[in-house]
Amino acid sequence: MNTAFPFPLSGRSVPFSLGRLGIVAGNTFLEAVRQKLFNFLLLLAVALVASAQLFREFNFGSSELKFISDFGFGAMVFFGSTLTIAATAQLFFSEIENRTALTILAKPIWRTEFIFGKFLGVFAVVGVFCALTTILLLGLLYHRETALMTANPEAFEAGRIIHYGDLVLMGVLQWLKFGVLAAFTLLIASFSNTNLYTVVMGFFVLVICHLQYLARDAYGSVASLPLRLLVQLLGYIFPNFQVFNLADQIGIGVGIDAAVFLRVAGYALIYIAVIGALAVYSFRNREI
Amino acid sequence: MKFNLAAFRPALTGFLVVVALALTGAAVRPFEEPAWQFVKSKQPALKLDSLQGALGQGVTVGLLGGFRAIVADFFWIKTNAVWEDNDLPKTQTFIKLVTAIDPRPLYFWQNGSRMIAYDMPNWRITEEGGYDVVPQARQRKIDEQQSAVALNYLNEAFGHHPDAPLLHVEIANVYLNRLKDTASAAEAYRRAALQPDAPYYAGRIYAELLRRLGRNAEAYAWLKQLYRTLPKEADAAKGITPFQVEAAMAPVVLERIRELEGELNILELQAFRP
Repeated sequence: MNTAFPFPLSGRSVPFSLGRLGIVAGNTFLEAVRQKLFNFLLLLAVALVASAQLFREFNFGSSELKFISDFGFGAMVFFGSTLTIAATAQLFFSEIENRTALTILAKPIWRTEFIFGKFLGVFAVVGVFCALTTILLLGLLYHRETALMTANPEAFEAGRIIHYGDLVLMGVLQWLKFGVLAAFTLLIASFSNTNLYTVVMGFFVLVICHLQYLARDAYGSVASLPLRLLVQLLGYIFPNFQVFNLADQIGIGVGIDAAVFLRVAGYALIYIAVIGALAVYSFRNREI
Repeated sequence: MKFNLAAFRPALTGFLVVVALALTGAAVRPFEEPAWQFVKSKQPALKLDSLQGALGQGVTVGLLGGFRAIVADFFWIKTNAVWEDNDLPKTQTFIKLVTAIDPRPLYFWQNGSRMIAYDMPNWRITEEGGYDVVPQARQRKIDEQQSAVALNYLNEAFGHHPDAPLLHVEIANVYLNRLKDTASAAEAYRRAALQPDAPYYAGRIYAELLRRLGRNAEAYAWLKQLYRTLPKEADAAKGITPFQVEAAMAPVVLERIRELEGELNILELQAFRP
């Protein structure tokens, strides 16, 4: 009997434990928060959101509040995506490159617990990022709207334009979108050999998911059958990130439909569960 | 030769992952579709041509990342920079790129069309030697060509702003100021006046253009109808502000009605009673 080889024992001799998963997640979170990358991106995003008021002079097309809202969510999406991809890849590969993954997986811990622990750690970090930028944006919009109400009360006869509850919902949706992105990055990391490859592929996935709707729209107009099937397949493989883009309604006094919010949130959670499970499956087949 | 299954394991894993993702995508599509249709109905989707145009400028990530309004603003600044250099091809390209990236603000459509219809003919005439050298017929031809481009551009805007009276006003101004086509301008002003939230001046200008065309009876009938709809005094309960009353200029409209009654020899008994 081969008792010296640790891998067959890991995850097989003990039942699945949420406690162990929580420990991996907690350590991942702490490690991420200690990283300069997180602090740097958070600082950049916060600075950009806070400076939205200064940039409003460059706004030509839409109302000032809409511009600040767009600017704030733009900063959140841009830096949040960067943070999600970079942090996921870095935190995963730090375990592989420092050989700590061997030590951890030699203990009675499931690879499922390891992968989902990593995911939850990153998800928590991104959650903190989204919460801070959303709170800052809320404060900024509230401050500016109050000032505008004082200066121009006729424009606000019907009350405040911004639906502040919807801003929070948008923050939650962005967080869930980053969750899908983190799960995808983990899936790539589960078979990738290098950190750089994972980061580059993560960004490709981000762009593809944002453009997925083009494949869906193009499906009907492609004449060649093989190409048509390929386009349809691409439309199914990648989730549609544009569906999370409900922020457009916020600066123009229109609220977010609760049913749509729940649908999009459910869509993200389904993808997180499926892609997470696939990352576990892929990681189980990986030689470390 | 012994078949080594382990060698195919990575490929098999990759294949299974792709199949699982495709099946998930197909399974969640009915769940996601209503939300996507809602999002699409609320905002114009980014088109491939706008992304291709932006790609060369290195702002694709920003565009996809949610900085759509800011990227459009950035390109609008660039549009103005090339406009200052009287660079026609670049200006026209950037004008179209800006509205392809963010077609929501009317400002871009209005000002873009003005550059095309009013500035570009001057650039072309100057390039061909100036107003003293270029024959009148050629100048007219250039005006017509640029106006056609501007009108096409403004008509494209209706796809994003179907009820915008200011787009009709812009079209009317191109007909009136560039093409000297009073009849088409009047028709465009009439359409503007009939839109919800139309500016009050659109109805007044329509009537004036009818008078210029010698269609006084039509102008009289229109102004009588218009006068009844105009706010005469501020009423907070009805949401009528003093500014609206001032902009409606009801006394001016009544004065024009009286002028037309004189021109049309309408008897005092048949005169309009406000």
